[in-house]
Amino acid sequence: MRRFLDRLYLASAALGATFILLIMLLMVGQSVAREFGVRTGAINDIVAWFCAAASFFAMAHAFKHGDFVRVTLLLDSLPARPRRVLEITSLTLASVAVAYLAYWANRFTYDSWVFEEKAQGLLPIPIWIPQASFALGSILLLVAVLDELVIVLRGHKPSYVTAVEERHAHGDFSSDI
Amino acid sequence: MDILLIGGLLLVIMMVLLAGGVWIAMTLAICGWVGQAFFTSTSPGNNLFSSFWESNASWELAALPLFIWMGEILFRTRLSEDMFEGLRPWLNRVPGRLMHTTILGCGIFGSVSGSSAATCATIAKVALPQLLKRGYNEQLAIGSLATAGTLGILIPPSITMVVYAVAADASIIRIFLAGFLPGFLLMALFSGYIMWWSLRHPDLVPPADPPTSFMEKIRLSGNLLPCAALIIFVVWVLIAGYATATECAAYGVLGALGLAAWSRSLTWANFCEALMGTTRTSCMIMFILAGAAFLTKTMAFTGIPRELAEWVNAMQLSPLALIAVLTVVYLILGTALDGISMIVLTSAVVLPMIQKAGFDLIWFGIFIVLLVEIAEVTPPVGFNLFVLQNMTGKDSNTIAKAAIPFFGCLVVCIILITVFPQIVTVVPDLVMGKAR
Repeated sequence: MRRFLDRLYLASAALGATFILLIMLLMVGQSVAREFGVRTGAINDIVAWFCAAASFFAMAHAFKHGDFVRVTLLLDSLPARPRRVLEITSLTLASVAVAYLAYWANRFTYDSWVFEEKAQGLLPIPIWIPQASFALGSILLLVAVLDELVIVLRGHKPSYVTAVEERHAHGDFSSDI
Repeated sequence: MDILLIGGLLLVIMMVLLAGGVWIAMTLAICGWVGQAFFTSTSPGNNLFSSFWESNASWELAALPLFIWMGEILFRTRLSEDMFEGLRPWLNRVPGRLMHTTILGCGIFGSVSGSSAATCATIAKVALPQLLKRGYNEQLAIGSLATAGTLGILIPPSITMVVYAVAADASIIRIFLAGFLPGFLLMALFSGYIMWWSLRHPDLVPPADPPTSFMEKIRLSGNLLPCAALIIFVVWVLIAGYATATECAAYGVLGALGLAAWSRSLTWANFCEALMGTTRTSCMIMFILAGAAFLTKTMAFTGIPRELAEWVNAMQLSPLALIAVLTVVYLILGTALDGISMIVLTSAVVLPMIQKAGFDLIWFGIFIVLLVEIAEVTPPVGFNLFVLQNMTGKDSNTIAKAAIPFFGCLVVCIILITVFPQIVTVVPDLVMGKAR
């Protein structure tokens, strides 16, 4: 189960990464095509959807990996026990918030599908197709948050903390702005 | 209930959640939800979906992952080693000598990277051991590296600026162009301080490296050519208006990949690592932007920012007093928050106020970036301090103390751009025509 979940997060993030690669290729392609007088307006819509997909598919992995920022000033100064209580409170709140987000992402996407809503813009495809990235990504994020909650409740250190500690111990600051 | 009271309540909830360690994006969204669910008659769920969807499915925002990616690729090359070797022979006669490699190196790396921590780490990794080996003053070197690293977000491309441009609905290119002159000004201030220090402490400056012939200098600086080509290319594309910011970023990635391939540091593992790192970082930022977009909607429905702007307006503060107050507010925020969060957190409330007081949004963007730079080098959570703490093993207060003179340079720079706002606006006005 552990291996399966970790692979699932990673695979989803890899999918997101692929979308970033595609954005780069599309943008270069668009500027070249424009020089040849080809009309490429629809590419802007695709790039926007890819941008959303890149972010939504990566949410679970980025969360587990400790990339989501939070204020750790108080947490770091607390001894282990109260810190654990605070972590559990945060994760519980996060679970509720993300469940709410996932519910609405899926409900909305489902509605778009049922009512066969088309995208506004130059490329009138059914809008549920790009929106599916939000629906799926938010469900996976919910799984990741619950996963962490279970880990902490079982008395372990949250993975988003260990991941950052390891990364910084290696002197890798590329993910920090 | 009084609108300002609602605003105060939301602020309290936000501070409690943030302090408790709830993730920033979620805190923003939760505050947004509370505001909408209890104080407006709209449906928060619908708005939640549309703010997340609209803020992330944005063509303009696609520049963000690309600029991050460009920096991630170059972070994994030998660029910084080459840069040190290329700069070294030219600095022998300048007071302070090789100490200036920290400033120049950060300035150059900052113009291909959009991150302050990455710039600081990349240059420090190479320059610090070399400088210490030659006997340069450690405190000066650390202070200068910590602060000059923040040039990464002032000299375009800059991730912080992209985020500000999206939050303020301003032109990315315009704010990039506005960053150049303040960036050079800041570099001049830093270098000026190093020269002044070196003239005052001649005994603490180690002897020069053996002189190199002119041809040798040229040969060594040949290492800088690929990087220079990339910078010139990106700047030229921006200024000539050939491409949009997003396209420019895409070409920047191509150029960075080419540069990495040329220096033989482009392996499949490196490529994947850089791309995955990019995906995570941009996902993190977009998640915050989405949370902030939802909160902004709440703000629009409740009318808190308008009310607040009126209220501030009624106080008859002079524009300078307003800027002074905001400076203090951002300095306080900067002790606990990272730059990106600081910007998106405040933009919904502060920007209307700023516009009402008659400030240019582009100018304010540069002002805020400079304040974020200060936040990066102030304890307890200045991120550059943390980077150097990790690299040198010194505690962050020692590093912060070393950075104080350079911190002063940042303050001088802020005063200068406030007194002479033209420093910020002249380049974008010249290239793109005057703003409305």
